[in-house]
Amino acid sequence: MTPSVQTWLDRAWRRFVFRWRRTQLDRELAEEIESHRLLKEAENSRAGLAPQAARELSNRQMGNIEMAKEDCRDMWSFLKLERLIHDLRFAARLFGRNPGFTAIAVLSLAIGIGGNAAMFTLVDKLLVRPLPYFEPDRLVRITGIFPRAAVSFFQQQSRTMDVAAVSTGTGYNLTGQGEAIRIVGSATSANLLSVLGAPVARGRAFEPGEDSPGRDSVVIISDALWKNKFDGDPAILGRVITVNGMNRQIVGVMPPGFSFPSSNVEAWLPLRLDPSNFLESWGTGWVPFVSRIRPGANVQQAQAEVRALVAQFKKTFPYPMARDWNASSTAIPLQDDLVGDIRGKLLILFSSVGMVLLIACTNVASLLLSRATTRRKEIALRVALGAGRLRIVRQLLTESVLLALIGGGLGIVLGMSALSIFKSVLPASTPGLAAAAIDWRVAGTIAALALLTGLAFGIAPALSASQIDLAGSIRTGSQRSTSTSWTRLRNFLIGAEVALTVLLVVSAGLLMRSLYTLSEVHPGFEPQRILTVRISPNQSSCTERAACIALYGHILDSARGIAGVKDTAIANTLPLDANQPYLAVDIEGHPKSADYPAPLVWSGAISPGYIRMMHIPLLAGRDFTEADGANSAGVLLVTPSTARLLWPGENPIGKHIRRAGEPQWRTVVGVVGDVRQYSLAQDRPAWVPGAMYMPYAQSAREDGQIYAAMTLLVKGSADSGRLGHEIRSLAEEQDPNVPVSQVQALEEVVSGSIADFRSTIRVFLSFAGAAILLAAIGIYGLVSYWVTQRTFEIGVRVAIGAGRPRIVSMVLAQGLRVALYGVGAGILAALAMTRFLASLLYGVTATDPATFVAVIALVLAVTITATAFPAWRAARIDPVKSLRVD
Amino acid sequence: MGRRPNPSELLPGTLDLLILRTLAPGPMHGYGIAHRLQQVSDDVLQVGESSLYPALQRLLLNGWVKAEWGASENNRRARYYTLTAVGRKQLVSEREEFTRMIGAIQKVLDTA
Repeated sequence: MTPSVQTWLDRAWRRFVFRWRRTQLDRELAEEIESHRLLKEAENSRAGLAPQAARELSNRQMGNIEMAKEDCRDMWSFLKLERLIHDLRFAARLFGRNPGFTAIAVLSLAIGIGGNAAMFTLVDKLLVRPLPYFEPDRLVRITGIFPRAAVSFFQQQSRTMDVAAVSTGTGYNLTGQGEAIRIVGSATSANLLSVLGAPVARGRAFEPGEDSPGRDSVVIISDALWKNKFDGDPAILGRVITVNGMNRQIVGVMPPGFSFPSSNVEAWLPLRLDPSNFLESWGTGWVPFVSRIRPGANVQQAQAEVRALVAQFKKTFPYPMARDWNASSTAIPLQDDLVGDIRGKLLILFSSVGMVLLIACTNVASLLLSRATTRRKEIALRVALGAGRLRIVRQLLTESVLLALIGGGLGIVLGMSALSIFKSVLPASTPGLAAAAIDWRVAGTIAALALLTGLAFGIAPALSASQIDLAGSIRTGSQRSTSTSWTRLRNFLIGAEVALTVLLVVSAGLLMRSLYTLSEVHPGFEPQRILTVRISPNQSSCTERAACIALYGHILDSARGIAGVKDTAIANTLPLDANQPYLAVDIEGHPKSADYPAPLVWSGAISPGYIRMMHIPLLAGRDFTEADGANSAGVLLVTPSTARLLWPGENPIGKHIRRAGEPQWRTVVGVVGDVRQYSLAQDRPAWVPGAMYMPYAQSAREDGQIYAAMTLLVKGSADSGRLGHEIRSLAEEQDPNVPVSQVQALEEVVSGSIADFRSTIRVFLSFAGAAILLAAIGIYGLVSYWVTQRTFEIGVRVAIGAGRPRIVSMVLAQGLRVALYGVGAGILAALAMTRFLASLLYGVTATDPATFVAVIALVLAVTITATAFPAWRAARIDPVKSLRVD
Repeated sequence: MGRRPNPSELLPGTLDLLILRTLAPGPMHGYGIAHRLQQVSDDVLQVGESSLYPALQRLLLNGWVKAEWGASENNRRARYYTLTAVGRKQLVSEREEFTRMIGAIQKVLDTA
């Protein structure tokens, strides 16, 4: 006879109505019962009793009618709910009376819960939630990059996958629409959107064949570009825009939030697949592949096929290819690929935040434990007045859960700001990052987390408090009688807290040392007082080399004419810049073979003044001069690391290098210092083993053309604001169709290159700070509680002659003992865990002894500080008073 | 004074069932119900007021009966209880359940 939901709801509704009309019901019931009694009285009278006796008998006959009324009243109310509300009210009153305790507890929890809310959002959005495409688990990335000739090869040969190519975003000029701007575009094979299973919001995807020459004058734009540049024009489809000098028709607009291959891509253009163009097919513009596994096939089959196809394809190269080229290529789930770089970072952050929450919980639990002990008298009194043990536990749990819920509420607010901080730590182009926000799902999880936390840190204190020796507690009112197991639990909790703190502070310390080492790194050049501006004409405007040489010659001349300018130069790329040009080169005396393919060399194109202006040291030979022009013999500068690699033990001056495929050798005329080209931590990645400079007039890209997009560098003595303004207008005056970037100080580029790192450290420092603060509170609470408990004992000691120093050292020892256990455990944990940080560290090992020693000293110093106050209080205990207390 | 069995001490829900059954012919007030129960059971079942009124409140809460004020025999206000449609259905099903229960108990007593 289980009632249906309907009857249950009916009953709850009626109960609600009854509860509401309770006073009236009460009156009616009294009247009804009185009427009942009168009927009985009348009956008794009829039986022949005197009126007085009839009344008395009727009263007796009614029995314990007050009890019945009480039963009825219970039925008209939500008894459990009201008891809960009562508990809550009591708890709130209690919190109000101890604002310090409440603030510490709530703040601790808010910090822990808020951090977790933010991290949970990120982890959920980036690692857990499936990609927003059709059957995302069938999408894979084929690792490695491939020449464009491989696109049709893979598309035709693959049995298990539909293969699409999509280049990572690069800069394109968008002109003819007001001010010329640079946009980030991605070149894709025509089938990209159908492989992803991502629909366009307006218009259409590329049609098959639109990636072949002649049909490729189309473009799909992002929602952001459509809204910002074209004001969300509803008639956008069919409009013709000029991208890198080529007219393209807009055929589609992607929906907001589409962020493939990364979230900064604003336009998708067809990848030109032209088998007749040797250079395009095999030389320039290699692309990554993304594929959808066909129905019936699985990842293992796809992986086997990738290995087979790569081996097969390698044989079709028209030039010798390294034996191990793409030997490790395989198919990995697309989601793993997209989050690959940040997974480690996220997990480290996530576990740190989790640790802070743990510390916060420990702290609150320990605070509650000590409070539970000081409340023994109150609780004993309540037990004496008839409160059951369950009732007491429930009251105490209500308090802790209420604390946790308040902390959780505040935590969500904190979490929102924490989320924006965490986002700044991750690369902005991470797909889905911008959309990550605390939503209802997260809020729900937080609520559950808060409840669980409340129960977790409340259960031990509540149980400890409910184990009360009633008579003893009330008789003595003693606050000393706590069983040792709970004290031991508290010591353990604080020790664990110290251990976690050591772990976090060691991590923060290692990162700080890395940052310090990094900021002390000499980048190989001097960025002071240099302003830069990027000028990006279309590559097509440089088919005539002389045109671009003349253009930049003119720009350099005009820049020199600006008042306050001391030096000027141009370069195709700046150190620590996103543009990293490299060339495959032939080296004289090193015939290419499968074992020795053409090495990739970072290749700068610079005006003759560049090396001097950047204070890059000239180590041997000569710098470029104005005489190294377009028509004179080809010359090069190399860096010492390159010289050592290519010609170990030989003098590099006079050696010859050429761009793979060009007829004339270029001669090395000088050696200039190595520069941190790619990042402050690293000169070049391993796959770019060398670096060289060419004079701009002689420079060549991989297709042999001269570089069109260059950076103008100006060193000034004057006010950099005015100077920046003037060089930007100078650059803009050359051609309104040439996009000109904002002016940047080179020093800012250098410091900006470690901005990510700095913000990571900021986050870690705040974790470590929170952890230290919480641990200090924890130790303080522990020791002052210990002192309170032992007031009597200390009084006795003082009375029999123990000096103050003796008492102080006794209390200090109490705090230090717990801290030392914690530090020991923390060091062991740190030794085991910090290696996961290794990828973030620079110039310091994961077990750097100096950092460990410093952290131990810091944590012990904090312990002593936190212990000092209760120790001081203990030393001032007046034996006479303390012995009289109980 | 010998101990009189109180229906609430029998099977759970028995008092509710008895009240529902008593109300089946027509509206009645609390005193009437108690009186009637005692009469019909030949004084075997004496329902104390302290269990009768909570039981009536329970039935009200469940929506099986409804209450209206009316005039009593001695011209005072009394509350009359009427079986609702749901209550009537409840009576049928509880009665079946009770018969089944009694049958089962009887069987155990006879055979075990």
